[in-house]
Amino acid sequence: MSFDLQGVRVVYPGRAGPVQALDGVTLRIGGGERVAVLGPSGAGKSTLLRLLNATLRPTAGTLRIHGRDASALRGRDLRSLRRGIGTIFQHPSLVPPLTALENALCGGLASWSLWRSVRALVAPAPADVRVAATALATVGLAERASARADELSGGQQQRVAIARALVQDPPVILADEPFASLDPGLTAQLAELLFRVCEGRTMVAMMHDVQLALERFPRIVGLRAGQVQFDLPAREVTPGHLSQLYARECVG
Amino acid sequence: MKRAALGGAVGAALLLCWMGAGIRPAALVDPANLRSVGAFARGLFPPDLSPGFLRVVAEATIRTLGISVAGTLLSSVLGLLLGVLGTASLWRRGPLFEAQRPGPVLAALSLGARAAARFLRSVPDLVWALLFVVAFGLGPIAGTLALAVSYAGVLGRVYADLFEAVPEGPVLALHSAGASRLQLFVAAIWPQSAGSVTAYTLYSFECCVRSAAVLGLVGAGGIGAEINLSMRLFEYGQVTTLLMSFVVLVLAVDAFSRALRGRFRRNAVHGSGVLRDAVEVRPLRRGTRILWALLLVAAFAQAGFGSLAAPDVLSHLWRFAGQLFPPDLSRSFLASILTPLWQTVAISVMGTALGVVVGGALAMPATASWMLDPEASLRPLRALLYAASRTVLAVLRSIPELIWVLLCILAVGLGPFAGVLALGLHTAGVLGKLYAESLEEVPPDAVEELRGIGATGLQRLLWAAWPQARETLASYTLLRWDHNLRASTVVGLVGGGGIGLALYNAVQLGFYDRAATLVLLVFVLISVTDALADLLRRKPAQQAAPESALALVAEAG
Repeated sequence: MSFDLQGVRVVYPGRAGPVQALDGVTLRIGGGERVAVLGPSGAGKSTLLRLLNATLRPTAGTLRIHGRDASALRGRDLRSLRRGIGTIFQHPSLVPPLTALENALCGGLASWSLWRSVRALVAPAPADVRVAATALATVGLAERASARADELSGGQQQRVAIARALVQDPPVILADEPFASLDPGLTAQLAELLFRVCEGRTMVAMMHDVQLALERFPRIVGLRAGQVQFDLPAREVTPGHLSQLYARECVG
Repeated sequence: MKRAALGGAVGAALLLCWMGAGIRPAALVDPANLRSVGAFARGLFPPDLSPGFLRVVAEATIRTLGISVAGTLLSSVLGLLLGVLGTASLWRRGPLFEAQRPGPVLAALSLGARAAARFLRSVPDLVWALLFVVAFGLGPIAGTLALAVSYAGVLGRVYADLFEAVPEGPVLALHSAGASRLQLFVAAIWPQSAGSVTAYTLYSFECCVRSAAVLGLVGAGGIGAEINLSMRLFEYGQVTTLLMSFVVLVLAVDAFSRALRGRFRRNAVHGSGVLRDAVEVRPLRRGTRILWALLLVAAFAQAGFGSLAAPDVLSHLWRFAGQLFPPDLSRSFLASILTPLWQTVAISVMGTALGVVVGGALAMPATASWMLDPEASLRPLRALLYAASRTVLAVLRSIPELIWVLLCILAVGLGPFAGVLALGLHTAGVLGKLYAESLEEVPPDAVEELRGIGATGLQRLLWAAWPQARETLASYTLLRWDHNLRASTVVGLVGGGGIGLALYNAVQLGFYDRAATLVLLVFVLISVTDALADLLRRKPAQQAAPESALALVAEAG
């Protein structure tokens, strides 16, 4: 699975006039790569993520995912594209009244027939339950399988989201600031888990934690004000690059 | 397994109700019935638009409007009295009560007002109309009084709830300054609640218009009386014209009421129309006031108040009231009404079940978030399906249950099955819309995440929207069953079986003591299920408006 962005612009209709979130981004991410995207708040990281998981269309420019023009796809083709891309958000939105196990099961929806997904809502097939239960065990939540999602802590919800991605079993995993809202101990634990899960897959993470990004990702993309400021191997990123990336906007 | 046991119990109850409600699917395909439905369908078009008949329609429509205006006004006056007396924070509990206890007579009067309001609203307006037709003769006055007493019961409760909900700071401050209870009401409670009171009175006006059109079916004048007559004469083209006129009237009144409510600050709880806070009312100009006064006089004239001037009205009323007492409580009579009583419950359950099935099936294509998804393929077809299902739902719910009974009798003959079908069709229209809107209004985050995973629209509906909406859907369904039980006590008045048929027969044959027993029985049945529904329904936490008001709004919507 590969991503190819050519001069991508994204403009949102804002209340006080249009807001430019991405301004001419050109980026190529090949299969099996591990890329961290760094940048200050408002740089366009979340927008980039939504482009990559094909839930947002570029206003201008082209976005090719796995060689296909993502903005031209609809219906079944679009869904099969998305099926290959798992996303783990900073604040995952699980379905609140469903249990952890059922939320993990959701990862299978895209490969299920309609009948199978109706049946699974009432009595899921034992094989599907096994897959979801194994995923929950992998993220260390086996004993919380029958708890409602809205009874879980933030960290637990995030682990359920990872379990759901495991059930989905996509070749690409996108992560949106996955550890930004957790305390340091949990961060280390979850980071280990996430990297283990992403082994053998393409991984693109929007990162807050510069240190962690430089340690664990071979390739770093610096995003600022909707533009790619640098795109370098991690060992070539200097403190100068970083201070420029996070520099306060000059007033005047 | 617990789930299996629950499923078995529900299944058994439904089966019992199926038998109790006399459901005969074969009647739907009976050749004679099919012929009469065919004749009806053919007769509906073209509508009768001859000048002579249009005048009849116009007169009936204006009469219906007059009945509902006069009924609303009387019910709000009576309701205000019941509401003030029934306000617990004034007379029965709370800091004001602790500070200065009212005499035992007043406390008893307050409880009595609550009970009276409960009785008035628990007996369906159609039953009141039937009794008033006997007391005052055929004509609009019976309908007006029926609306007046039954909505006085509704408004008495709503007003009392609103009065109790006002912030108590100003009330207590005035009390410590030495104000009497009446002064407290006028100076502290009323100003804080006047806006909401007006808004809910307008909602009840919308309900009254719908009811007024139906009351005519038992002889209380207006559109319903004309529909009844045209059905009996097999003049189905006239029925079309009358129904169209009814729908136009309802739409016009809703628009008028919404415009008036729009004068208030917009602060409705999303989607429900329930007001969150107090609203402000602007005073009217003088010319407008005179115009309103003239319109009111005209409404009361239309509502049949002229007929009260006839010389023997009072003596006739007195004689009728005397015949109601004592109610017939003989064992043989009580035994004879067990079957109709059970039939009534069964009709309400099966009607609701039919409504859930049909409404649920129609709700899915009527859900915009699924059907009008810009990413889906075959979009024109989906848009068409959406529009079609929304239209069907609108037609189903804009025709009142009692009129559906008349139509269903053509399809399956007299009896409880017609009642079930009628309730089911109307309920499908109401619930289908509520279901669709609840599914659309779930928080979108989880739904969107499943979109990102690659789930289809239907899968998102099933796995993200349905789990989040199911409690709301269940609560709407329960509320509707409560309503349908009320309706199933009266479907019999026009041929739909159940206790209404027994009541109709008792009244027609002049056994008024039996009629009194049946009315009491209806009251008990509805009070019990109201209490049951209150118990079963978990109250949503964010709901600021009183429960009673919510039911009123659901009815008007």
